[in-house]
This record gives sequence, structure tokens and C-alpha cells, in this order.
Amino acid sequence: MKKFLSLLVVFCAAFLLVACGNKTYEIAVVTDVGQLNDGGFNQGTYEGAVAYAKANNKTCKYYQPANGADATDNDRINAMRQAIENGAKVIVTPGFMQATALQTVAAENPDVKFIFIDGWQLGLANITAVSYKEEESGYLAGYAAVMEGYTKLGGTFGGGGSNAACNRFAYGYVQGIQAAAAKLGKNVEVRISFNYGDAFSASTELQTQISGWYNKGTEVVFSCGGSMLQSVKAAAEETENGKIIGVDVDQSGESERVITSAVKGLAASVQKILGELYEGKWDELLADKCSNLGAADDATGLPTATWRLKNFTVEQYNALFADLKAGKLSISNELPADNMKDVLVWTAISLLTTNTTILFE
Amino acid sequence: MDNLLLILQKTLIYAIPLLIVALGGCFAERSGIINLALEGEMIFGAFIGALCVRMFQGADGYLLAHPQLMFLVALLISGISGAIFSLLLSFASVKLKADQTIAGTALNLLAPAIFVTICLAFFNQEKLVMLDIPKYAIKNSELPFILAIFFDKAYLSTFVCIALFVVLSIWLYKSKVGMHLRACGEHPQAANSVGINVFKMRYLGTTISGFLAGVGGYAFIAASAAGTAESSVGGMGFLALAIMIFGNWNPVGIALGALLFGFLKCVGPLSGQIDFFKNLGLPIYFYNIIPYLIVIIVLIISRKKSGCPKAEGQPYDKGQR
Repeated sequence: MKKFLSLLVVFCAAFLLVACGNKTYEIAVVTDVGQLNDGGFNQGTYEGAVAYAKANNKTCKYYQPANGADATDNDRINAMRQAIENGAKVIVTPGFMQATALQTVAAENPDVKFIFIDGWQLGLANITAVSYKEEESGYLAGYAAVMEGYTKLGGTFGGGGSNAACNRFAYGYVQGIQAAAAKLGKNVEVRISFNYGDAFSASTELQTQISGWYNKGTEVVFSCGGSMLQSVKAAAEETENGKIIGVDVDQSGESERVITSAVKGLAASVQKILGELYEGKWDELLADKCSNLGAADDATGLPTATWRLKNFTVEQYNALFADLKAGKLSISNELPADNMKDVLVWTAISLLTTNTTILFE
Repeated sequence: MDNLLLILQKTLIYAIPLLIVALGGCFAERSGIINLALEGEMIFGAFIGALCVRMFQGADGYLLAHPQLMFLVALLISGISGAIFSLLLSFASVKLKADQTIAGTALNLLAPAIFVTICLAFFNQEKLVMLDIPKYAIKNSELPFILAIFFDKAYLSTFVCIALFVVLSIWLYKSKVGMHLRACGEHPQAANSVGINVFKMRYLGTTISGFLAGVGGYAFIAASAAGTAESSVGGMGFLALAIMIFGNWNPVGIALGALLFGFLKCVGPLSGQIDFFKNLGLPIYFYNIIPYLIVIIVLIISRKKSGCPKAEGQPYDKGQR
């Protein structure tokens, strides 16, 4: 027994030594509550960092804060500090929840650069923020779905109503639906919910709710939040033809039911910013700035490579997208409220819309 | 009518894991062991089941072409792993005479920890997603109402669990071994005096209990969690314990309790779509609270006429009379 124990100790020590080796990683990605393999937001960001690292011969590593979906600011701070200990020179942090942790760690380490995805200016010269015009992607997805011929739509949004990115997706989605409905002169019904998916995760409740929607005739549901797709997918597969709109990245690979995805160019923009950083343009272009990326930067849109819509063609989409780029579409990005999980907000929105009935749950 | 059918179908889907896990709890307690570890056994069973299914789905084998058979195999694997996991509890509380509540709690803490460690190591995520979501065994939208509840959009787990429930309930009450097992929960010394091996019976009760919890765990993640195993089963194990007490430790009561709680669990998510509930205008949180509120109320009301096995929770000591 003693022998065994001493062997164990030696083994552990060897393991620790290996773990503390000199290997350093220059580019670090610290994930948010959705975690790395969420098939969406975090994964897209990480893939961007990996692609840049590969192309430019840098080292890249991801860090997942402890406690997974319940990670706190302290967990995120620890993950960032660990990344710096491992030699990170630039840390990519997807997710608006990282703000507090960023402020702490960035102030401690002025030499390390931070890229704050879905973020805003935090007043520190070593942080740059990237935000997206999600309302554009949402608009395009809603517009495309109605043009395809769907008249009963749904949308379930993560973040519990207080996540600005999800709210912009929702707001744009409804505007797109309304624009297409008005153009076709059809009446369209859309169900909106912020009830499940506060941490963007799948849940039995979400699945039950969405299968209720499909049961009541909803044809396509916008699943806005990484792993929430799992629940929507399960609900869709209970039905004969229930369809899904994915989010953040091209989610068509996740299920046959995904007709399109409201993407934002996470990977592309991470690569672009890392490129600018390594070209030495940080102070000039990025320091304490917020890049707000949209169609003009090709950072929003629908993926055309995996097009599955039949009545609304890629050509029609490209024409629409060109209009959007040229600023010919009026898409409001002024959210009516900070918290969109409020029936009054949606009542107000539905008063302004024609041809569209909004059912808020 | 569509609404009602939807609610009843969803009720059944929520009720099935509760039903089978509560029966599991009943088996353990009838043999004299408090099985607080139902939640942990569900998590562990579901985890191993999901892991195997992921492997089956990844490899090009016979099971890949026969998803329903794979479902059945996964249920069996989950049950067996739940049973093996429960041996920790029976070893601690039967052999070592440890405090059963504490042993059970330890298992509840251990299961999610094992799960998270392995999942983070291999999948970079604190959950395990199957490559393909388990499908219905039967789809039949033409059926008349009552039959449609059971035979339209039903999972294999529904039939397996109902069959297990009926057979095991009858076995517990009508067979010789079942009666011996129950005797050990009421008065183990008396049982021993007529030659029943109390240790053996308690091992048997707890192992069956672990098996059923494992089956219930897989039934839960397959039918209502989109084929995703997580480090919790949403408190279903504890709810099943409450249902067992609610049902007064007998199968008929457990069945009624499981249906009631299944119904209450699905009212929340559907409340926005049913005019009756929508008109009440209650916040969604209210519906989420109801099942747990009812547990408390029922326990207060029913504490007098409890059918609780007399010797449950007490380590068996041969010397006592």
C-alpha cells in the first residue's frame, strides 16, 4: 500500500511538472457561460482565434472559467489570470458578462491586450470592444422566412430579456417579418418568448414550450442562444415539418430542420482584429474603441453557402443584402427598452406594426 | 381538445421518469434503506447511458440502424450503471452500518462531480449531447383521443417504464421475495427470526432502486431533455422522493402522484399558449413554484397517517430485539 501511495505521489508530481512546463500560449480565449462547444457564439469566436493562430504561426488556447453555466466574475477573473500566467499576450473574451472581470484583470495587466466581443468601451486603453448590428441579421432572417412563405413564426430568445445582443436580434427579427409581410400583403403571426434560456442553455421547459408552439401551427422558430438550439431541435423533430432558424454561426450542420441562420461574423472579426493588433495598429485603431460591425463590414447576414430556402433565392437575398449595405433599408436599432422581457414593450411594438400579430409569452 | 391532448401527452412525458424513480425509492425504503441518492443515481445512470449512445451513434454498427433497439439497450445500460452506483450506498449503509442520509447525500454530490470531470476532460463542456436526439417509437396522428395520449408521439421509455412499474409493483406485493423484502423494512429482527437474510434483502431493495433510478434518468434525458445529459436532472430525483412520500409508499399512490406532478411541471411552459392560463395573467415563476409548494402542503397534511416502513433508516443489528 505504501509503495502504491508513493508511486502515486511521484506520478502526480511528474504530472504537475509537465503541466507547469514552459509551453506558453500567446492568444487566449476565455469563454462565457455558454461554454466552448456551444455550436454557436463561443465556438465561433474560438474558431476565429484558432484560424488566425494557425495562419500566422501563433499559439492559441481556450480557458473555461470554473462552474460552467453558473460561472461568476471571480471564476472569469481566475481564468483570465491563468491565461496571463501561461503567457497570453492577447485575450479574447466573448460575452457581455465578462465586463467586470475584464475591468479587474485589464487594469492589473496593462501590457496584455483584451478583445471584448459583444462588448462596449470600458475606459481602459488595453481593451477593445466589438459589437454587432444583430438587428440586421435578425431582420434578414425574419424577412427571408416570410418571403419563403411561412406565416406562423416564433422566436425564443436567450439572456432573459436583458442581453442587448439577443434583444437586437429579436427586434430586428420582428421588423424583418413585418417588412416582408407588408410587401406580400399577408398577415403573419409571430410568437415571442424570453422565458427560458437565461444562460443560453437547453432545458426541458424550453422544449415543452416550443413543442406547444409547433403543435399550435407555428412553422418556424428562431432559436436565439447557443445551446437552446438543442431544445428547439428536439421540439421540431417531434413534428413533421417544424423548421428552425439558427443564430450566431451557420447552424445548418446541427439539424436538417435549420432553414437558415442569423449569423454574425464572429470568426472573421476576431481574425481581423487580431490582424490589426499584430500589425501594430492597436493604439491607432483599437485602443479603448468599440467597433460596431454590420452588413457594411460583412459581419452580419445569412450564410449563402448552405442555402436551404426555395421560394426566396440567393439572388433575391443578395439584392436585399446589397440594399442593406447601401443603407436603403430602414432598420431601427434603437431598442425600445433595456429589458425586453416585458409584455408592455411588445404591445407597444405591435401597435406600430401592420400585417403582423405579435403574441408575447 | 388539441390543447388538452398536448397537455396530457406532455404530462405523461414528465410523469414517466418520476413514476419509475419514485417506485425505485419505494423499493429501497420498503427494504429499510432510505435512498436519498435517487438524484445521484439518475444523473449517473443517464450519464453512462448517454455516453454509450454517443458511442453507438458515432460508430457504424447494427444499433445505429436500429435506433429503437439502441434506446432499449441504453435504458438497460443506464439501469445497470444506476444499480452499480447504488451499491456504494448499500455497502455503506448495510455492510458498514453508516448513516443512510449522509451516505445518500454523499452519492448525490459524487455523481455530478464525476459527470463534470469526465465531460470537461473529453467534451470541453459540462454536458454531454447525443449526436442524434432519441426519436418516438410510435407516431400516429389518426388515433382517437384516449389512445392518442399513449400511442401518438410516444417514446419507447413510456411503455418500458409502465411495464416495469406494473410488474415490479405486483411482484413487491404478491411474491414471496417481495413480502420478505417488505418485512425487512418493517421489522428486520422478526424477519430474521423466520430465516430471512436481512442483509441480502436490503441489498436487493437498494439495487433494484438504483436500477430504476438509472432507467428513469435515461428516460428523462431522452424524452424531455433533448438527449442532453447534464450534471443535474432538474431535481427530478428529489421530486420523486417527495412523490413516494406523497403516495404513502405504495405504487397506486405513487402513480397518482407522478401524474399530478407531471401535470404541474408542464403547466408552466405551456401557460402562455393556453387561454385559460394566459387570462389568469400570473407570472411564469408562479407555475414553477407550484409543484414544490404542493409537496410542502401535502407533507404537512399527510404526516399523521404515514405508511412509512417502521424500520427504515435504522441499520440492522442482529442483537437488538
